Amino acid sequence: MSRVFNLGLPALLGAAAVTLTAASDPLPPDLTYRPLPSLPFSAVKENDEAQKPAVIERQRKLLESRYNLADRPMRGVMMSGGRKVVQEGVRVKLPAGETWDSLAAKTPQEIRDRGLLPNGFLPLPHVKQATGGQVFPENQIREIGADEGRDLRRFDVDFDLPDYLTPEFPPPIFLTTHPELGDVSRGDLLTIRNFYEYMNGIITPVQMEGLRLLLTPFPQEEFNQTEDRKVAMQSMGVACLDCHANFHTNAAFHLTPDVRPQAERFRLDTTSLRGLFNQQIHGSKRSLRSVEDFTEFEQRTAYFNGDHVSATRKGVNLPDRTNQVAMMAQMQNIIDFPPAPKLDPFGRLDPATASAQELKGEQVFMGKGRCAECHVPGLSFMDNNMHDLKLERFYKIGETFNDQVAIPDGPIKTFTLRGIKDSPPYLHDGRLMTLGDTVEFFNLVLGTKLDQPEKDSLVAYLLTL
Amino acid sequence: MRAAAITFAVGLSPCCAMAQIGNPAGLAPDTRMEKPGVPAPNQTNYQDRLFAQLVTAGGRAEVELGRLAAEKTSHDGVSAFANRMVEDHDEANKQLKSVADKSEIPLPEELDPDHKKIRADLEKQDGVAFDLAYLAAQILDHQKTAQLLAWEIGSGEDPELQHFASDNLPKVLEHLDMARTLHAELAGQALLAAEAQKSK
Ligand code: HEC
Ligand code: HEC
Repeated sequence: MSRVFNLGLPALLGAAAVTLTAASDPLPPDLTYRPLPSLPFSAVKENDEAQKPAVIERQRKLLESRYNLADRPMRGVMMSGGRKVVQEGVRVKLPAGETWDSLAAKTPQEIRDRGLLPNGFLPLPHVKQATGGQVFPENQIREIGADEGRDLRRFDVDFDLPDYLTPEFPPPIFLTTHPELGDVSRGDLLTIRNFYEYMNGIITPVQMEGLRLLLTPFPQEEFNQTEDRKVAMQSMGVACLDCHANFHTNAAFHLTPDVRPQAERFRLDTTSLRGLFNQQIHGSKRSLRSVEDFTEFEQRTAYFNGDHVSATRKGVNLPDRTNQVAMMAQMQNIIDFPPAPKLDPFGRLDPATASAQELKGEQVFMGKGRCAECHVPGLSFMDNNMHDLKLERFYKIGETFNDQVAIPDGPIKTFTLRGIKDSPPYLHDGRLMTLGDTVEFFNLVLGTKLDQPEKDSLVAYLLTL
Repeated sequence: MRAAAITFAVGLSPCCAMAQIGNPAGLAPDTRMEKPGVPAPNQTNYQDRLFAQLVTAGGRAEVELGRLAAEKTSHDGVSAFANRMVEDHDEANKQLKSVADKSEIPLPEELDPDHKKIRADLEKQDGVAFDLAYLAAQILDHQKTAQLLAWEIGSGEDPELQHFASDNLPKVLEHLDMARTLHAELAGQALLAAEAQKSK
């Protein structure tokens, strides 16, 4: 009878799979690959422009149904460069009749079955999901237009978040090699025109060449010379620092290169490159193991959505690993977090300088809030791991919002919290507008049942990082 | 047919009520516009047409294989699942047919070769072997269907077909979850039974 176990069962389980694969057709190719356009550029542009008001309006409605988008600055709290005020409050809207406490008291199943998860906690769609691609904020478009005469404006979509909910622009630049100098950005955006003047005498020859490459535009999926582009004139392309403005972020977004088909790709809010030197895994899903790997591969991903077939047609730039990539990586590796004067060398608050509320916030972070189990102070508030927060316990998967299908996020890398007040919106897709939102999000997802004073102190603490 | 179209429209969840806006680079070259940028209704690109054909083939198979399974299985869970497949996919097939008729997409009339082969294979099996093979085939079919529906949502031109896709995707994912859970349960039981035999 042991024969059943040894041969019978695996055969039972395997039989169907074997016969099926032998008989099946694959799914159509453009679930995975980018289709070629079926219409001439002029016709596509005309339709795109005609659709644009409806596209913007539809996204505005979605955002307004999910968030309170008002301009509500937090008294006296500026981002690190002193150029923009941090926004206050919880912006995600609650379903009718609920409070944050009543919601936190329910089980995930109850929240899912009764459809009570605030929609602002769901994945945030791209402004035009079916097309996707890079979208730059107005300030970046203006600066690059003025300084380089290069056009980053798409004819089909505009950036969808109000300026006051994005990082300060241009962001300050802090160097690990020169802490004593403070911000070396001169309050300006680094471009291919000004970088040499601004940085000569401060960085090394190798770093300078890395910087030049990071500021050099190369063809990209929406910004190129073919009929498959979303910019009016044939374009020279985009530069790395068009999104990672001054090595931080301007909240430019695109769609993840790591998922297909298109409707299920999640939005990606540009990450800051500050403190990259301490990070062991890169990319929210890709988990690449070095800055060099990421830098080399970003030409395949931010530029071409992880579709090397399309890239080959539009003109891909592949930097040389040993020379160019190394220099680009070394430049990125000297970008520091903004100063956090209240933190000691262990990443803990100095009781002599921190307020009582901030210290209480640290206690919550380390204790009842359980934040430090993933955001470890001694590891720049990361753990170099990916975690599956299993948000789909709280909602029914597979529903479509503005052409994006909400599937589970799956494992995502832990982001650093150093300098966190400088980089709204939050989470990999920018679905949360304020730090107050992140506290409510994690309180619900982790089931920590924090009370209001604990939540307030946690926000106060996050501002010190 | 008209009735089916109406139930379908009323059944839309609020999330999906807003019009889909695709990438115009994927419109069929002969698309007529209702107003600038907005294609007149019931026009299709090749993705719509291929989608309708593939999903019809799949949906037809769900019903046929469901009937077969309801007849052959002696497991309550599998029987409930099979009956649910017959019901849900019969309904979905009708919805799809009504949209496809309006958009003049010809649909396949009989089972496609892939599913003919699966049916033939299943007919030869009995007992736990049948249940497991049926569920394994269902898992694969629902995985493929989920991807096809998402493809249509992102790439189609005909809004009614796209609404059909977004309306049915949550159900298909629910079916997939049911099939996976059942399969894991049955495989576990089969393993335990085999081990019990072995230690005798
Ligand atoms: C569309 C704007 C955009 C452009 C252009 C861009 N990036 Fe990025 N970059 C992103 C986004 C978004 C992420 C986050 C990716 C993710 O989470 O998977 C990212 C992530 C990174 C990371 C990993 C950071 C981390 O914390 O994991 C590095 C390194 C990086 N980019 C370097 C570059 C380089 C080098 C270039 C030029 C070759 C470049 N980027 C061009 C948007 C951009
Ligand atoms: C189980 C691990 C884990 C715990 C515990 C955890 N986090 Fe996180 N945190 C993550 C992950 C993973 C992300 C990225 C999630 C994403 O982008 O979808 C993240 C992201 C964040 C972000 C946004 C970072 C950014 O750059 O957008 C903030 C803020 C944050 N966490 C705060 C907290 C707070 C406050 C707590 C405690 C109440 C907490 N986290 C507990 C894993 C964790």
